Amino acid sequence: MVLLPIVTGFICLLIKDHRARAGFVWLTAIVLIAGSIFFLSQGSFPAEYSPAAVWDFVVLAFNYVILAFFIFAAIKDIARRGLSPHNILALVLTLAAGIPLAIFEFSWAPHTPLEVIPTLYIDHLSMVMCLVISIIGSLICIYAIRYMKDHEEHRMHLGELKGTAQPRFFFLMLMFLGAMNGLVFANNLIWLAFFWEVTTLACWGLIRHDEVPAHIDNAFRALWMCLIGSVGFSLAIMYCWNSPLNTLSLATIIGGGAINCPILLVAFALLCLAGFTKAAQLPVHSWLLGAMVAPTPVSALLHSSTMVKAGVYLILRIAPGFQGTPLSTFVAVFGGVVFLVTALLAISQSEAKKVLAYSTIGNLGLIILCAGINTPLAMSAGIMLLIFHAISKGLLFLCVGAIEHYVWSRNIEDMEGLVRKQPVLTGITISAMLSMLVAPFGVLLAKWGAMEAAAGIGVWSTLVLILLMLGSGATTVFWAKWMGRFLCHTPAPGVATREPLIPLYHGVLLVLIAFAVIGSILVAPLYNGIVAPALSEMGYNPSLAFGTSTWFLKSSVGIFAAWPIFIIIGLALLVPVLSARPRVEELRAAYACGENVEIGADEFVAVADERSPLRTGGFYIENVLGERNLNRIIVPVGIALLVILFVVAAI
Amino acid sequence: MTTAWLIISAVIAVIVAPLVGGLLKGIDRKLTAHMQGRIGPPILQPFYDVVKLLGKRRIAANGFQIAFAYAFLALIVTALVFFVLRQDLLVVLFILFFGSLCLPLGALSVKSPYSQFGGHRELLQFLAYEPILLLATIPIALKSRGFPVSNIFEYGQPLLPHLWLTFIALLVALAIVMRKSPFDISSSEHAHQEIVRGVITEYSGPYLALIELGHWYEMALLLSILGLFWVTGGLWWLSIIIGLGSWFIMLLVDNASARLNWSWMVKFAWSVGTSLIALNILFINLGWM
Repeated sequence: MVLLPIVTGFICLLIKDHRARAGFVWLTAIVLIAGSIFFLSQGSFPAEYSPAAVWDFVVLAFNYVILAFFIFAAIKDIARRGLSPHNILALVLTLAAGIPLAIFEFSWAPHTPLEVIPTLYIDHLSMVMCLVISIIGSLICIYAIRYMKDHEEHRMHLGELKGTAQPRFFFLMLMFLGAMNGLVFANNLIWLAFFWEVTTLACWGLIRHDEVPAHIDNAFRALWMCLIGSVGFSLAIMYCWNSPLNTLSLATIIGGGAINCPILLVAFALLCLAGFTKAAQLPVHSWLLGAMVAPTPVSALLHSSTMVKAGVYLILRIAPGFQGTPLSTFVAVFGGVVFLVTALLAISQSEAKKVLAYSTIGNLGLIILCAGINTPLAMSAGIMLLIFHAISKGLLFLCVGAIEHYVWSRNIEDMEGLVRKQPVLTGITISAMLSMLVAPFGVLLAKWGAMEAAAGIGVWSTLVLILLMLGSGATTVFWAKWMGRFLCHTPAPGVATREPLIPLYHGVLLVLIAFAVIGSILVAPLYNGIVAPALSEMGYNPSLAFGTSTWFLKSSVGIFAAWPIFIIIGLALLVPVLSARPRVEELRAAYACGENVEIGADEFVAVADERSPLRTGGFYIENVLGERNLNRIIVPVGIALLVILFVVAAI
Repeated sequence: MTTAWLIISAVIAVIVAPLVGGLLKGIDRKLTAHMQGRIGPPILQPFYDVVKLLGKRRIAANGFQIAFAYAFLALIVTALVFFVLRQDLLVVLFILFFGSLCLPLGALSVKSPYSQFGGHRELLQFLAYEPILLLATIPIALKSRGFPVSNIFEYGQPLLPHLWLTFIALLVALAIVMRKSPFDISSSEHAHQEIVRGVITEYSGPYLALIELGHWYEMALLLSILGLFWVTGGLWWLSIIIGLGSWFIMLLVDNASARLNWSWMVKFAWSVGTSLIALNILFINLGWM
């Protein structure tokens, strides 16, 4: 699962033929999907596995190869384009991450490389991530075959591009899938840090894919911000080795727990820092916004459904270790602040991918909030949110990518009335938005779990709850007004057209929306099959989270009857949407104080009976909620929060 | 409570709720007229209006508008049914929110300046009241040990003496949901104002009737939620008095104040609403309430 994508990735790098490369992408995707499902059904978890010692050498060597490559890339960029804050910081932080690691591995550690038994530790939480990576990730790669073709044709048409860069693109994408699987399986912290660097490398390479100066800047920004996390990782490794446990085995460290071994609290705080930077939380959220310049499949794969999830995966993973400490409370409040702030920022954005990026950061904040609440109910809500968010948000990015190739714009205002021009695509997009937002779908179900979990945890919970509820209100606003732009249209009498269906676009989108719907309906079996075992392996008592009576989810304090709600709401919504077709003679023009021209024309009669076009637009409240206003406040707040994080951990 | 009885009460609620809502609307108009020195329409006028609207020719600007009118009504009825079946209060609210969202979505689907205006402002109303309603479930759940409505019935004591701070916050939220002054920024009773009729500008005939009907259900549901504050512990009829009393307070405030701007509304709701409930939760945790 780890090696195959890396190998096929290299093959993709070497072959020049477009068809053959697509074939390898398909092959990898099919093997990964089938393999992950087979693994889940056959394996007994938790599984432990330690490959031959030579692999420890490979990991050790390649880790420094990657760090050296970062230094090389930064110096090359300085030489070519001069100094910029981004490439300088990338250089400095690479050294800051690499030097402590080197000191540790070559002089502190009793032998080099340091082996940890088991090297890989695979439980149901790893499998949740593995399924997300292998299934959703593979689907995104399949979609990318078509997307990159269109993307390059468009850029060649504009004269921005001479030769194809697709071999490198698919190399990085596939290698990334392998590295992610490695990351979620790893138990040796050095291995974990290595795979962490590989994903950072893929992220940097894919953001700068188009090699436009602004993109290269954004790539370096992403690089140095993620490297802050790597510094945290290196220090955490030293702390863990120095603790009484004297080990680099993640499972042992979590099992040891900060309650019994207070020095570990600093290590957990450092790992949280690594998680926060990877998940683009405050104050380094700007790297994810900058990363939106990458081709859209990259945003879908790395920046919403998988790589940024590595950050929250790590925090969920170590949550049992800091259960019952002030750090846990802090993590919950931190997640709540991020959730609220990003929801407000998203209201002010008119670029589609930036709205999605802010929503992604917010939802990751929500998962972090769940990890911080740290009760069985909250943890299961966090894991469910991780699954359903990966499906819905990956889908939404792919939708925006497909829309982009119809309207050649990412601006929400240019999507006005799209429901008339591309009804199938827009229908899927709106359904995906609803799956992020409304009642019976998984994302909201997880939010419900988070709310009920947060209700029981003492005085700080009030603050967490207020942040959570205010954030939910703002979330509704930005989704709804975007949907409003899609829907806003004036039907002209006559034919309603449907766009030509493109298999690799519409097919992948339909599969993903089916996942979102079926997963939400079958949420109780899903919970019993994979989330509950994950909880008990992590040391939580699943019976304190959700009880499932036949098909309903029952928390200890509430009940969510998923499928009856689905049936009723499905009927309430689908029947009118599908059946309400006004006849032509029933259509009337919108009210314009009696100055309409004719039905179906977006015009009104202006001065001297001249026809003037009627335009409408969405609202963005830029002057109140704009990035310029809010970033001035939230970046210092974010830095202050991180300082508090370490103060809390040190005390 | 047996299942059969629950189902019967759900059926009764679906029939009775719009009657109550419509009647309250009629009394509202009558009392408002008296306060303004007019005679006002007959109390049954809202029913005459809806019957008349239902009989009118069907006219729409596009299909989505119609779909959202149906969905608005259907989802609010669903929320009411879930409430009567004593399901989870948060789930009831989520369904209600989904229903309420259909109104701005329907408005935004029409390319008309007034409708867009109203739709966007309706979203701001939403931004103001959604957090308060959600947050208000927390102290209720803390007191009655759980989110299902059935727990409140099993609690055995009236909630109001413990939760009067939350109750006040809910009154504010209710005024925003019902678009009462000073929170009527998304719609107006009179078509000559700057937003014409806001979200419902583009609706007419039977579709407008659906929305009116939905509002009646919404009113009945929200007042019932307020009634929950005194359902057990003797004097159950106080719950009805509380529901009607809250409605009357809103009516008074509506007539005594003018429309304010959106940022004031959101700030007021977020600051006053959340701090009232936060205080209430704090007092519960300290054992004072």
